[in-house]
This record gives sequence, C-alpha cells and structure tokens, in this order.
Amino acid sequence: MPNQRRNSILFTCLGIALVMLFLANISLGAVKIPLTDVVNALTGNHASKPAWDYIILSYRLPKAIVAVLAGMALSVGGLLMQTLFRNPLAGPDVLGLSSGASLGVAFVILGAGLLPGALGIFLMSGYGVVLASVAGSFAVLLLVLAVAQRLRDTMGILITGIMFGSFTGAIVSVLTYFSTAEQLQKYTFWALGSLGNLPQQSIIILTIVTIIGLVLAISCIKPLDALLLGERYAASMGINLKRTRFIIIIAASLLTGCVTAFAGPIAFVGLVVPHLARLLLKAGSHRILFWGTLFIGGILMLFCDMCTQLPGTAAVLPINGITSIVGAPVVISLLLKKRNRTY
Amino acid sequence: MKKILSLLFVALLAITACKNTTDAPVATVQATTNAIKHAKGLQLYKYKGFSLVKVTQPWPNAKESYTYVMLQKGATLPDSLKQYTVVNVPIKSAVVTSTTHIPSLEILGVENTLVGFPGTQYISSEKTRALIDSGKVKEAGANESLNTEIIIDLNPDAVVAFGINSTNKTLNSLEQAGLKVLYNGDWTEQTPLGKAEWIKFFGALYGMDDKADEIFSKIEKDYHDAQKLAQNIKEKPTVMGGAMLNDQWLLPEGNSWAALFLKDAGANYLWADSKGTGSLSLSFETVLEKAQNADYWIGPSQYTSLKQMMEANPHYAEFKAFKNKKVYSFSTKTGKTGGLIYYELAPNRPDLVLKDLVYIFHPELLPGYKLQFFEQLQ
Repeated sequence: MPNQRRNSILFTCLGIALVMLFLANISLGAVKIPLTDVVNALTGNHASKPAWDYIILSYRLPKAIVAVLAGMALSVGGLLMQTLFRNPLAGPDVLGLSSGASLGVAFVILGAGLLPGALGIFLMSGYGVVLASVAGSFAVLLLVLAVAQRLRDTMGILITGIMFGSFTGAIVSVLTYFSTAEQLQKYTFWALGSLGNLPQQSIIILTIVTIIGLVLAISCIKPLDALLLGERYAASMGINLKRTRFIIIIAASLLTGCVTAFAGPIAFVGLVVPHLARLLLKAGSHRILFWGTLFIGGILMLFCDMCTQLPGTAAVLPINGITSIVGAPVVISLLLKKRNRTY
Repeated sequence: MKKILSLLFVALLAITACKNTTDAPVATVQATTNAIKHAKGLQLYKYKGFSLVKVTQPWPNAKESYTYVMLQKGATLPDSLKQYTVVNVPIKSAVVTSTTHIPSLEILGVENTLVGFPGTQYISSEKTRALIDSGKVKEAGANESLNTEIIIDLNPDAVVAFGINSTNKTLNSLEQAGLKVLYNGDWTEQTPLGKAEWIKFFGALYGMDDKADEIFSKIEKDYHDAQKLAQNIKEKPTVMGGAMLNDQWLLPEGNSWAALFLKDAGANYLWADSKGTGSLSLSFETVLEKAQNADYWIGPSQYTSLKQMMEANPHYAEFKAFKNKKVYSFSTKTGKTGGLIYYELAPNRPDLVLKDLVYIFHPELLPGYKLQFFEQLQ
C-alpha cells in the first residue's frame, strides 16, 4: 500500500512537472518576451508586438506540442522494444526503422540525381523528406514483419533489425561519398533532428498516429508483463505470442516511424526514458512503467528542447546533440546510485 | 632480405644527402610591383620572360603559401626560382576542379584546352557542356575526390586544384607523379572584385596576361559604374536573406561576399553590422523579430517558388517580403544538368550580379535591364 501512495504522489509530481515545463518551454526562446506578454498571447489577448504573438502561438506552441508527442512516442516505443527483446540496450530504432527512414531521406537529399526527373522534383518538395522517411521506415517494417512471421526466436528479429541498420548505413555512406557539401549539410542537419517548423497538418497526423500507437501499446500491457518472465512463461499463461509480438512491433513502428518522419531520427530519448522510469518508480510492472515512461518522455524532451536555445545568443543547437548530452550522464549516475538493479 | 635492407639504407642515405645540399648561388630577381589590386590571396609579378604567381591564401587561415613560376618559351629561369613549381606557359592542356574556373577559361577563349574535370555534371556553361558531351573533357573523379589514375593518364600540363586545408593526399600523389598542381584560392576571397580578379591567375597560365587584364578592367569599371548609380539613392530598402535549414536560419554575415553586393547595390541589409565573412545561423524567432517587415528577401536558399517555400516551412508567409512577393532567388536558373549557373558564373562576373541587384532595388536606374542571375519567385 505505501508503495501505491508513493506512486500516486510521484505521478502527481510528474504531471505538474510536465505542465510547468510545457509553459516554461513556451516562455523561453531566442527572443526575450516578458511573461505577461506570453500569458496574454496564450489567453487570446494580444502581446505588445504582433511578431511576439506569432512567435508564441505559431512557432513555440507547436514546437512544444511536437516535443511532448515525440518524447512520449519514442519513450513508449523504447519500452516496448526493451521488454520484447528483454534487452536493456534496445531502443525504439532497434528494428532498423530509423535506418530505413534515413535511407529514404538520403536518397532524396543526397541521391536526387539518381531519381527520375519528375519524381526527383516531387521528392525535393517540402513533403519529399517526410514521404521518403515514411516509405523507408515502412519498407523496413514489412521486412521485419516478414522475418517475425518466419522466426520463432525473438532474438532473431533483433539481429535482423541490427543488420538492416548496418546495411542501410552502408548505402547512406556510399551516397554521402558522392554528394556535394550542400547536400551533406542538409542531410546532416536532418539527421540531427528538428522539432520546429512543422505545418499544422503534420502535427495533426503526428498526434493521431501517436495516439493509435499508444492505444495499441496499452492493449499489450498484460502480455508485456508476462513477457518479462520469459516467452515460455508467457505462452504457458495462455498468451498468443505471435499475435502479441505482431502488435508490439506495429505499435513501436508507428510511434517511431511517425516521429522520425516529421522530426528526424531522435532515438536516444527512447532508449533512456524507460530506464529513468524504472529507476524512479522502482517498478517492473508495465501498468506503472507505461505511464511513467509516457510522462518522463514528454518531460525530458521539453527539457532538451529548452536546452537547444543557448541563453543570450541567437544560435540554436541541434536537438539530437542535446538528448544524448543530457540523457547519457543522467542514466549513468542513476545506475551508479542503484547498483543492484536487475532487469 | 639483408640485401634489401642494406639497399634501403643506402637509398635513405642518398635521400637525406640530397636534402642537405645547399641551393645554388642566388641570381637576384629585380623587384616589380604586384599586378593584383583586389584579391587578397593572390599576387602576380611580371618579369621579362616569366611571371611569378603567389597564392598566399590557398584555404582560409592558411599558414602556407605557394609560389608558381610561369616560364615563357625560350626564357631562362633565374637560379633563385628553381625551388618553386615551374610551369611552361602557355599550357596546352589542363584539368581544373571547380566550376568557378570554367568561365575564366571561356572568357580567355581557351576552354578547348580542358581535358578533365571532377564531377562534370555540375558544369552548366553550354560551351563547355558541348565539349563534355563530345568526349573532349573526361570525367576525372567524383565531386572533390579526384581520380588519381585518370588524371595521371590524361597527363595535363597543369592541374588547377583547390584544397580545404593542408592535407591533400590526392594532390600530393599527383605531384609525385610529376604533374604540376596549382592551388587556386578564388573561393577564399571575400570581395566581389577580389574573386573576379583570379582571371589573372589563368591569364598567367595561358600566357594571356594582357587579355586577362583587359577583361578584368572592364568588369571592374562596369562594377564601379553600377555602384556609383546606386550610391546616390536616398531611399535604401531593407533586405533579409537566406532560409531555414531545420531549426536554424542561415544568412550571410555582414562582411561576406553576398552582403557586400547588397551594400554596393544601395540596400540596407539588416545584418550588415554582423562581423565575419561566413554565415550566421540564427533562430527563427530572432529573424522574425528583426526582418518581419523587410522590403526584400534575397537568396532564399534552394527554393524556386513561393509555394515550395510554404510547403517547406509555413512560417515564411509571415514576412512582408513574402506576402508582397518581393522574394528574389538565383536558384531558378540552372544548366542542362541541374548545376546552378550563379555558383559557376557569379564569382567571375560581379558586375552582372551587382546590376541585377541594383535593378531589383532601384529599377528606375537601369531602365530596360534584363536580370541575369536572379528571378522574382512566383
């Protein structure tokens, strides 16, 4: 019982932290906007400058929403993968989806010359990168599902995913070798991820797909707990392994693929957050872990997004650099504090 | 094995011994004045029978400089110059490595001497494209990575290369193969006329110094004329530039090549005060706050239409210049194989770039002028 009380207190704190960080994220940026103006803009009154209204409502607010969505989606995706493969090093991109997306985008940005004229021009348009990313992730997903159908062993799927990663990585390397400095810069920037500048439609799509992925994940909470004890045990409890595996893979793919398509390959958060949730909540059950991961994912991503803005300068740091710089030391220090944790 | 080792040892001794021989007595070369006015990384000294070309800025912040002796037929070389790379001019064949070198060859009328180029698909000029299509210009590698074997096989009289820094493995092996490799630093120049003056480098290579001088003087005069036109204008329109790459807005710094054009064209570039010759990377918020009401938007990266810009980033529509369709880009004009004509020709023809900009900002000054590089985006 005291445990339950502790958890409810923790979740209240996490909820408050999420809301506070969301507001802080909108209040801070390259342009200094007084808090009263921020509140005015958010409550439908007008800030003292029209440009500020636009910055808060049309630039910062969507960016904060995308940060929360991406953080939640990737973290839950990571949790699903870590449990399915019983591997603490698994992240949302372990199936090779991000690599697939990277390959698709590399073809658009670096290999545009290889695409036939009309297709090349279409893919160089604003939506080209998103479409290529979706196509790449989807192609890898189909391959993974085909492998999952044929292999009884979950580890086999993990190894296949890693192989896809190496394979696509190699093709991207060859493409980069034949690219101009400008193309390389574009591709590198894409690979560093970006939460801003998404049109409204994209944010709506991202929201819908994330919700579908999360609902699928919630439907798997019970089998996930059983999987923690091993596949055989889960099967003996009457869980349909193949079907569960299929749903988990689809959910993780939707969550990862969609974020990657719109915001680039920001994967590290998804690897870190489930660990943070386990360490913080001291729980192994997915009923608690899932929600913990969800909240912490949103919080961490909002925090990382705030760190991308160097205080007092107009320069912006890439989100992917920050996630690892912030995330890695946190996990290491938490692990050192709790040396006896078992996974 | 022993034999090989001892042979190696002897060889080593021989090499070190060679190194230690002192130079032959120096025959002094009379001083003359540098024929270069605007380019900071190039010096040219003309003598009877030969000229000295000094490339002092082969890449940004270079510690090394390179001296090349352009020796005319029948002239004797002073002993003091034997340590430098000596090129017998006029050269009959060349491999050049940057599209910015192509217009210089064409203006001098020597594009027929081009035998190889790395990344021929980036060349836009129709004259040279015809040479590529007829097989006279060979593909000599891919994009900044020269194919050593192909170039050695082509055996040109000179390889005009550029280095990003002092480690250039491929160029070193070409030199070891006995080819004359010359660094061209046109891309490190930061002023419009400085870049254009590098035509004199090619003039020296082809023994056409006078022709190169004449061509450059004309470009210089036209540039100054256009500059003077715009100087007396009271109303200077405000200008923004660049576009977003992910979360960063990249635009030219205040002392850069692009920013100097705007200044000379009688415009008020909003970031003219920023120091530096590269590009600024700013957040969207910063740019919006400063440039939301800018009159013109020049050079929005790779975009070729307003629709395309909107698709890429809906925030662009917030700018007055965008709303009023005062967005001008050079990305719409490409060669047959997709290379941007601006990147190839603009460094050589700053006079045309400046006239374009003067016409955009003050059409009344150049009635009937037709834009060469820029185009108003629709």
